[in-house]
Amino acid sequence: MAEEHIIKEGTDLSRRDFLGTVTAGVAAAGVAAACVPFVSSMNPSSDVLAKATTEIDLSGIEPGQEKTFPWQGKPVFVVHRTPDEIKAMEASPGGKDPEPDSKRVEKPEWLVVIGICTHLGCVPNKTATGWLCPCHGSVYDNSGRIITGPAPKNLHIPPYHFVAENKILIGKA
Amino acid sequence: MSKIISWVDQRFPLSYFIKHELTDYPTPRNLSYWWGFGFLAGFVLVIQIVTGVFLAMHYKPDSKLAFDSIQHIMREVNYGWLIRYLHSTGASAFFAVIYTHMARTLYYGSYRRPRELLWWTGQGLLLLMMATAFMGYLLPWGQMSYWGAQVITSLFKATPVYGQEIVTWLRGGFTVDDPTLTRFFSLHYLFPFLIFAAVVIHLVALHTVRSSNPSGINLADKDNIPFHPYFTIKDLFGLGVFMIVYLLIVFFKPDLFIEAANNIPANPMQTPAHIVPEWYFLPFYAILRSVPDLAGGVVAMAISVLIFAAMPYLDRSRITGGARYRPVYRAMFYIFVINIFVLGYVGANPPTGPLKTVGEISTTIYFLIFLLLPFVSRWEERMVLARGLPAAVEEQARREIAEAEGNA
Amino acid sequence: MRKSRIVGLLFCLVFPLSGQSEETQVQRGAHVALEVCNACHSLKYIKYDDLMKIGFTKAQVDAMRGDKEMGAPLLSQMAPQDELGMFGTVPPDLSLMAKAREGGAHYIYSMITGFYTDAKGQTQNKVFPGIKMPDVFMIAQADAAGKAAIEKKARDVSVFLAWASDPQAEDRTTLGKYVIAYFVFLTILLFFLKKKIWKKLGNH
Repeated sequence: MAEEHIIKEGTDLSRRDFLGTVTAGVAAAGVAAACVPFVSSMNPSSDVLAKATTEIDLSGIEPGQEKTFPWQGKPVFVVHRTPDEIKAMEASPGGKDPEPDSKRVEKPEWLVVIGICTHLGCVPNKTATGWLCPCHGSVYDNSGRIITGPAPKNLHIPPYHFVAENKILIGKA
Repeated sequence: MSKIISWVDQRFPLSYFIKHELTDYPTPRNLSYWWGFGFLAGFVLVIQIVTGVFLAMHYKPDSKLAFDSIQHIMREVNYGWLIRYLHSTGASAFFAVIYTHMARTLYYGSYRRPRELLWWTGQGLLLLMMATAFMGYLLPWGQMSYWGAQVITSLFKATPVYGQEIVTWLRGGFTVDDPTLTRFFSLHYLFPFLIFAAVVIHLVALHTVRSSNPSGINLADKDNIPFHPYFTIKDLFGLGVFMIVYLLIVFFKPDLFIEAANNIPANPMQTPAHIVPEWYFLPFYAILRSVPDLAGGVVAMAISVLIFAAMPYLDRSRITGGARYRPVYRAMFYIFVINIFVLGYVGANPPTGPLKTVGEISTTIYFLIFLLLPFVSRWEERMVLARGLPAAVEEQARREIAEAEGNA
Repeated sequence: MRKSRIVGLLFCLVFPLSGQSEETQVQRGAHVALEVCNACHSLKYIKYDDLMKIGFTKAQVDAMRGDKEMGAPLLSQMAPQDELGMFGTVPPDLSLMAKAREGGAHYIYSMITGFYTDAKGQTQNKVFPGIKMPDVFMIAQADAAGKAAIEKKARDVSVFLAWASDPQAEDRTTLGKYVIAYFVFLTILLFFLKKKIWKKLGNH
């Protein structure tokens, strides 16, 4: 009872009448709308968005070689796999996050993965059999799949497609 | 809900504070819209802080990047143009509101006993604001920014003995350069929070002495009404009108307060043909230029701002209600306001020919008004009392006179 | 095929000025700016893809940019150091020119059309004495018909540079109308609410 009484006294005029409710509602909508430009200003600006896609020329990468390219500020590993490596990967089901190799590549000789460990975001180093993350020792194979270590998922595949025989566009599937 | 409130209240006087300072805070019922400008100033301060924080996320305080980063904000950041124009127009709006707030204080004699400290904290706020605005104006790193900072920091050359050292120290170099820009940015970010703290002090002082009112007499309790809802709604309506004017400029005339030359990147090798400060500094700038000697000009300009603090002592009249019952003071007030506009016009134009003379005359009038006030106010007091006043006003004036003579 | 033609027709109805045959003034000005001004002057805050905002299609912009990237700024075709050697100064960037001069676009128009031949036979400029820029359109030598054509080009390019200095102008005024309408509505509500609340006080 006491509580009701206090509320009534304090907001007596704005609560009871229609005009007060409407005004408060319109003002609240305005405050909410005023937040939009401020929140939106923290999203990527148009010059950042313009860099959302990156074209990569594959012609300089020899079989067995790996190269790292920046895409949206993140490292992307591009590996030109040898026939032996392809064969080994196609035979293996993967580790704790099983996924067939064929689902992870557009063309079997080209593996394109985002070079960020799915554990805590470090950049793994290339080894003969795949990658080893320096932070907590996660081991990935030559298909970017997690074999051992704390990482929960395989290395992510960025959206990309071949625009020419030896050219891919990352950022758009 | 009530449980949470009572939990807090046992540890912090939340309900008491809201009740005492807002819902039940006794406010004279006869306050006009002229009393709403303090609230508006507080609101503009919030606009400036919020927009400023968001601008700082994209702005780069580096002499090589600053100008480009403003264009980045204007062209590429989502709604960057809106936030920047809100901020640049907000600076002008802040001064417009504060000058109106001061004019009301002067017209109604609100600086008088017992509100001296309230007036002085306001004076301190004005100085902080001026410093903040001046440093903020350097940040776009345009030609006006650069040469404005160059000229104003040069004023400190007038300091005896260590003049040049102080100028170099302020700039962090022999001329305005990268170190000046980075320190101005740092302080421009800091000062608004000092202003915010000073506003709290200003409000504490206000709530101690309570609002003055247009009648000038101390009101009986029955003439005071709770601040909420009467003045919250009155202030909010005033805010609505203010926002319409402010946003009309932001959306339809956003370059009104941006000098064309400030769209040219700063060039230390070339001064623009005609440099002017922002409009809110023009009257003081005119005073600076009207005194032929550098040191004299600087001193005159400093005094022209600081002299307001002496108003409680310069005005020796015991007639309350400010200009309302004081025809001579009222005339002086209007002459002062017109004179300020004349000084502003002089400050905006090159000091040549007749304008130079006008500036000198206006500067003299500016100071003369303050200097004559102690004598005029006493003479006027006797004249007005002899002529007769409304009973309540006369009673309060005679009581104050009796008190003062009793003390003497 | 038919579907795309209907879409195209609708597009022309909605944006009648951006049709291919009839170029808008700002588009004509863009051609002048890119083909004439841009030889010596940069427009560094404008990128090629920004030109699509004034109604150019991607194909049109592709034709204008040549081998430059879509996101590349419109830098001058001459290297700044060559310009320094040739003119004794680097011609100023034009992206903000319409804001950087008193009078804005009017100034640009007056400057371009302000060339004349003085008594000594030298080319001078009415609004910018001692200008280092040559009379690119040769208005000082032009006959009446030539002058009219040059004045039209000058107007077009001034309009384009006004856009370049403030590409958000249209968005701004569009949003502004809604915002002002909102505040007028809210202020009217506040006015009546204020009257209503104060009425309870009565007069005395």
